[in-house]
Amino acid sequence: MTGTKMRFMLGGALIAMLGACGNVDSEEGSIPGLLAEAARQSVAQRGRAEAEVVAKADPGQMAATALRVNKGPLIMVGLERAGTTQVLAMTGENGGQRTYMTENEQALILRDGMLAGTRGLGHDLSVAEMAQSSALIRSGRSGQANRTMRYWTGDGLERPLKLECSIGPGPKPGVMIEDCKNGPLEIQNSYISQGGRVTVSRQWIGPDLGYATIQELRP
Amino acid sequence: MRAHSTLTRRLLASTVPVALLLGLGANPGLADPMIGTNINGYGIPGAIDTPSAEMLPDATLGATLNYSDLSRKNALVFQILPRLTVALRYARFDSRPNGNSETRDHIWDRSFDLRFQFLDEDPDGWMPAMAVGLQDFMGTGFYSAEYLVATKTINPRLRVSAGLGWGRLAQDGGLGSPFGDRPGPDTEEGGKPNVDQWFKGEVAPFISATWQANEKLALTAEYSNDIYACETGIAEECPRGVWLSDKDELKNNINLSASYQLGENYQVSGYLLGGNHVGLQFSVAMNSSQAPYPSGIEKAPAPVRPRVAPSADPDGWSGAWSADPTAQPAIQKVLSDALDKEGQTLESMSLSANRAEVRIRNRRYMQGSQAIGRTARLMTRALPPSVETLVITTSEDGLPTSSVTLRRADVERLENSEASQIANVAVISDADPRPGDLTYTDGLFPRFRWALKPYLSTSIFDPDEPFRYEVGAEAVAEYEFVPGLVLAGTVRQRVLGTTKQEAPGNLTVEEYEDMDTDYDENGVPRVRSDSRMYAGNSSPTIPRLTLSWYAKPTETVYTRVTTGLIERAYGGVSTEVLWWPTNSNLAIGAELNRVKKRDFRDVFGFRDYEVTTGHLSAYYTFGYGIRGQLDVGQYLAGDKGATITVEREFANGWRVGAWASKTDLSDEEFGEGSFDKGVSISIPLGWGTGEPSLRRVGGDIRSLSRDGGSKLRVEERLYDKVRDSQAGKLYQGWGRFWR
Repeated sequence: MTGTKMRFMLGGALIAMLGACGNVDSEEGSIPGLLAEAARQSVAQRGRAEAEVVAKADPGQMAATALRVNKGPLIMVGLERAGTTQVLAMTGENGGQRTYMTENEQALILRDGMLAGTRGLGHDLSVAEMAQSSALIRSGRSGQANRTMRYWTGDGLERPLKLECSIGPGPKPGVMIEDCKNGPLEIQNSYISQGGRVTVSRQWIGPDLGYATIQELRP
Repeated sequence: MRAHSTLTRRLLASTVPVALLLGLGANPGLADPMIGTNINGYGIPGAIDTPSAEMLPDATLGATLNYSDLSRKNALVFQILPRLTVALRYARFDSRPNGNSETRDHIWDRSFDLRFQFLDEDPDGWMPAMAVGLQDFMGTGFYSAEYLVATKTINPRLRVSAGLGWGRLAQDGGLGSPFGDRPGPDTEEGGKPNVDQWFKGEVAPFISATWQANEKLALTAEYSNDIYACETGIAEECPRGVWLSDKDELKNNINLSASYQLGENYQVSGYLLGGNHVGLQFSVAMNSSQAPYPSGIEKAPAPVRPRVAPSADPDGWSGAWSADPTAQPAIQKVLSDALDKEGQTLESMSLSANRAEVRIRNRRYMQGSQAIGRTARLMTRALPPSVETLVITTSEDGLPTSSVTLRRADVERLENSEASQIANVAVISDADPRPGDLTYTDGLFPRFRWALKPYLSTSIFDPDEPFRYEVGAEAVAEYEFVPGLVLAGTVRQRVLGTTKQEAPGNLTVEEYEDMDTDYDENGVPRVRSDSRMYAGNSSPTIPRLTLSWYAKPTETVYTRVTTGLIERAYGGVSTEVLWWPTNSNLAIGAELNRVKKRDFRDVFGFRDYEVTTGHLSAYYTFGYGIRGQLDVGQYLAGDKGATITVEREFANGWRVGAWASKTDLSDEEFGEGSFDKGVSISIPLGWGTGEPSLRRVGGDIRSLSRDGGSKLRVEERLYDKVRDSQAGKLYQGWGRFWR
């Protein structure tokens, strides 16, 4: 994929014929390359669209295989907008914070089952500061909470998105709902807890990635 | 070009942080200051020929192609500060044969614009946004105009601009000359700001309105007093006779246009000038914050591994392991392999019971903090529990620059928290040049790197042929004997292209070779003006073959010696010293070179011209990522003078800058352009692809290759080599520590 894009940028049939080899990368650039950068953006977008059309395996079967092969904690995560479902295995645990990774090393970070961050998804959530929400949700209490979601933005910074949330029981028994707002932005997370931690949930990652459904396969 | 979901679209009217998150700065009515979406014929926000007081979102880079039978204008625009827009244009206009060019009936001319918005709109009150602008403010001045303009949002769909214009904007409908007569254009060497013309001569009003018919389509009407006097043969309003052409006169002063937005990045418009000339325009704009993958798509970092309780690993916690001589080699191997997987080289390491220092070469991450954050996490996974102090030193190809010291407990406690928290407890200091206890990683040196790949080199702005290129194959090799001592070379073989060998002036190659001189008719050495003599070589060339030695004699001083074939046109010896404490905004450097001009064809041969050139340099980093540089010294032609460079670097690695050099050569000796100047743009490749990389695209747009104010082109000057890992840049990009 990347090779195709490179050639697209350079745009010369001859260059496409000449493959590069060696053990060092060039750091050179050019003005035409720069002008082609805008075109690259749409190419990159196209690339993403293609990547999203991945053949879907049966989630049940996927979970069963993962449980057999892997002895550690596992979660199953569906990204609604991308339409993908994957099993993630725990690769680290630090002070109540668990890092789960896919086979190709994309990660979700959870605190007691609450989404705390993502890594490697392109529009990552750096950190979600949601201790207030977490306490209410996991104890099944209603109340108001502030949460801050931090994202890496294209300008190279980490920027906060502050949300005001109200938490309460949902229409279905055992389900807690968290409604959050910032101006016209409104999101709704839902959670099922067990033993003081969230085991099944639908949580909002961010504006580009949308919602993730997260299910604990093995604690 | 992405289709936004309903949710995303609803967010458009949200607060600034949300807008920035979504990369939607280009949408109207959002960000501060007032942002324009309609691009005018000069490539900046406005109507058709007239300007507005609008800005582009900060750090937007755009390009516009504008074509009608009256003009061809190609412009690059950059929003260098939130309230300052700069544009560089390359335009073609008809010209009668004259002294400068007997053959051409047209001229390709470069011009610069500046616009400063000094007052922002009050969205709730009556106060409009106001801006002052200089159009084509130096050099030839074919499009020269100055203006003062106010823009007001009447309702969310309608914006109106009105202003006063001088110069080209007042060819018709003049109200008088408040600041005196406008002197004629510079007909000498050009290239200098035409200060004496600014805001002089007749002043005339202009007005425009843009109506946003729907999300995509905007309709614009304007009343303009730019009547294309030269293009349509109105001699009394045209500043120079040689610019006169004979197109049909405009029927009236009204211009109309319709522009259509294609996705986020493109705009197409058609326009009608004065009721009888049609034109087309295409614009592309990209904003530095609109990266396709803002967080990058690189793999997740390995997470922190917290230490077990002391009771579970008493040996590890006691530090007794450090007495075992096999401990460090084993740990170093593990850490080196893990770092390599994450795009970093472990150059050397020291390890004691409670402290570890690693020297890393970052091969992958544009933000040094990301490399450091990943290294810190890998250290928690590899080091025994008694090691509490983690020191991560960045080595720029063997030059240790800064050291980041972290407490391991802080790394464990703050993993994946807001980046400023770890920044508050990290200490950045100058790297010790020669600590006694460092052990190099096995098998790293000597190190050989090579590549065989295609190359494309281009040259633009030639008046006869605006775009030239050459394509071929290139072999690059680098041999590092010990850290900092490098033999590097490039061999190129041209395959095809339109660049060819050319002599300066009107001489043929043979005539120039027969003259066998390195001086022009004014006695100025030809140090760059014959650079085309090196071009178009169909046999192999060696653009560079050097032996370089980089060293750090004290904690704050860096040195470089480079010898060999330094660049395409010069070979010799180049030496440099730089003083730069890592936490200092100020750096001071000195460079001294003795070089000889290379032969045009014989790769190892030299010509007779030999010179000593060098500079004293001061570098200063102001806030906002703005950096200034002043070089004073002797240039390649033996001329003495100074160069001023101003550059803005953004946290994501985008760099945009401009420079100008003035030396003791007179304008006549220098020739067309009067002094050396240019702009540079550099964009990280990873910003566009999402794949982490240190590679960049971009380049310099400079004035014609003249001989005055020209510097030796040494690769990897010290400042550029160490800047990315000094404290200022590390802090600017610190937000990526946990990425």
